[in-house]
Amino acid sequence: MYGNAYISPEDAKRMNESTDDAENLEIFEARITRGEKIEPGDWMPAEYRKQLIRMIEQHAHSEIVGALPEGTWITRAPNFRRKLALIAKVQDEIGHGQLLYSAAETLGKTREQMLADLISGKSKYSNVFNYPALTWADVAVIGFLVDGAAIVNQVINQKGSYGPYCRALERICYEESFHLKQGHDNFVYLATGSPKQRAMLQEAVNRWYRPLLHFFGPSDRDSQHSEKLMKWKIKLASNDDMRNQFLDQYIPKIWELGLTLPDPELKRNDNGIWEFGDPDWAEFKRVISGDGPCNAERLEVRRYAEEAGRWVRTALMNKDERYVVPLA
Amino acid sequence: MEATKELLYKMADDALIIGHRNSEWTGIGPMLEEDLAFSSMAQDKIGHAFALYNILHTAFGEADPDTLAFKRSEKDFRSAQFLELPIGEYDFSLIRHFLFDHAEHLRYDSLAQSTFQPLAQLAKKVKGEIKYHVMHADTFLKQLGKGSEESHARLQSAINYSWPYALGVFEPGAHEAELISTGTFIGEEALKDLWLARVTPIIEAAGFSVPATTQEQVVYGGRKGFHSEHLASLLAEMTEVTNIDIDAEW
Amino acid sequence: MAELNSLDPRVLRLDLKKIEDGDVATNTHLITYEVFHQEKRGKQAVHAGVVHASTPDMALVMAKETFGRRGKTAAIWVVKTSEIYTLASEDEDMFETTPEKLHREPGFYKVRDRIEAYQKRTAVPQQ
Ligand SMILES: [Fe+2]
Ligand SMILES: [Fe+2]
Repeated sequence: MYGNAYISPEDAKRMNESTDDAENLEIFEARITRGEKIEPGDWMPAEYRKQLIRMIEQHAHSEIVGALPEGTWITRAPNFRRKLALIAKVQDEIGHGQLLYSAAETLGKTREQMLADLISGKSKYSNVFNYPALTWADVAVIGFLVDGAAIVNQVINQKGSYGPYCRALERICYEESFHLKQGHDNFVYLATGSPKQRAMLQEAVNRWYRPLLHFFGPSDRDSQHSEKLMKWKIKLASNDDMRNQFLDQYIPKIWELGLTLPDPELKRNDNGIWEFGDPDWAEFKRVISGDGPCNAERLEVRRYAEEAGRWVRTALMNKDERYVVPLA
Repeated sequence: MEATKELLYKMADDALIIGHRNSEWTGIGPMLEEDLAFSSMAQDKIGHAFALYNILHTAFGEADPDTLAFKRSEKDFRSAQFLELPIGEYDFSLIRHFLFDHAEHLRYDSLAQSTFQPLAQLAKKVKGEIKYHVMHADTFLKQLGKGSEESHARLQSAINYSWPYALGVFEPGAHEAELISTGTFIGEEALKDLWLARVTPIIEAAGFSVPATTQEQVVYGGRKGFHSEHLASLLAEMTEVTNIDIDAEW
Repeated sequence: MAELNSLDPRVLRLDLKKIEDGDVATNTHLITYEVFHQEKRGKQAVHAGVVHASTPDMALVMAKETFGRRGKTAAIWVVKTSEIYTLASEDEDMFETTPEKLHREPGFYKVRDRIEAYQKRTAVPQQ
């Protein structure tokens, strides 16, 4: 899920100023304009490589960190069907990480370096995973709505310019449709179940509403645009457009079950634009800069996984083999 | 009939408990690819548990699989104590997987000839899955055996620790003679011999040694419903959500 | 590491204190194998992606669940990334005019008009 690259304003500014070999740049840009993909062996502007690594890496981090909130409930899933679905779903997120780190590796950064940057805090992941899954109903909300939001993002990114990333996304999107279906299934069972189940779900929906509004990043009015990111097809849709598409697809599916959202201002205008109350962007900034309810735990668990697994990887390493960047 | 039920219950409980335990690795494995592989094998095991409970349900009129797995009390579980132990570090989990899955491989292999048709059919169906589990375990054992000093030491101590527990998997039940005479199952004693003959050379070829164990050290009890403290807490955790509203559909 | 008050019982069982704070090392990445997946007998094996592994055996074991955990699989192949050779990207232009070599294409050979003209000219009865 969750390839919502957070590009800092400084970078965006610098990108717009960067210059590169003019002739190669022309060929490169013409290729993208024609709708062709860029492949790993191609000449590419240094800034393109850098921004792609950053975006794909963040997406990959979001997958493996995203496995943790739902993983909280793996040992407590309430029956065979849910148990198998949840394990397989969380497993897929790790698989998505595997695919995405590999795509980023084709650009020249090793998986371990990316993981080290995740753990040191140098590299970000989707903010939504800094919130806890307090109850089993949170698993339903994540599977249905967080994955739903991620799908909006990933389907759009699939039209991007970098071949290996698009190929990874093709497979990921296919698997995401299973995530969404199993999440919706769980969501509907709780919504149509006993009063206790329904109350659990309503509370979870209330908790996740704001993080979901934050999911696509700050409003276009407040986030710096990079024409170059758009031109190079690294970023393909604006934050507000994606958010609107998400609300348009999913709010009706919440309402049709008689559930409510904790926002009296939420409504769809005649022009198809959704309006919502103040989503508290200050909180978004606070959480993304490390001060969310679960930031420390997420990184600590990933650090554990890396370090506790190190002896295995060390033992497997063959000193005579030379690492080369994967092909595709 | 009681004999076959006993066999089915212990196999189902084994599969559920080890599948549950190994699923705990999902998301925190030692490398991403291994995370995927370990998780798939855990899912396979949970699938085997479902299939076995389902035979109990359809052939013997026992409750449905969800009830059997999520609503039975700890003393009714017939799983071996080996499987309820916490996952520990990867060295222990890998060795448990290696030792137990070879036992499973041979058990299902022999059950393919069982006179009890539902079990024979299941054994044939899951043959390929278990073949992979064993291939996976053997590949890691071999690689880590010749890997580093640390990996070698870790795995040897995991083998030493696990061995009396692994032998406990072959704890005889109350109906061994009947299972054997009816051609339902070859019996735990015969299975243990097959297993020793299978795992010993693999362990030794990987550069490890098989520990000497006396019969008193073997950890029995699980097949009679005696468990370590870990099973009760495992089950309490596993049924936490179900128990929020025991009659609800989840 | 400070105590974590995790909601995840699995995390509570991890020995997090054993792990030291600070940057993690980056010197244990394995080599990669390129994975090819054949869905059905009779079909081509298609490149599916890569796995990190130390030996071909391990690459196959890893590739099975990385690329074969859904749908059908008839075969999986792996090959060390470093053993694959490719033409350089800028040599793609060697293929630029290939689609124009229509004389190699079946659609290039159209004689229906000629047959019909002949039939008209010589009064061969039309079918
Ligand atoms: Fe995902
Ligand atoms: Fe997902």
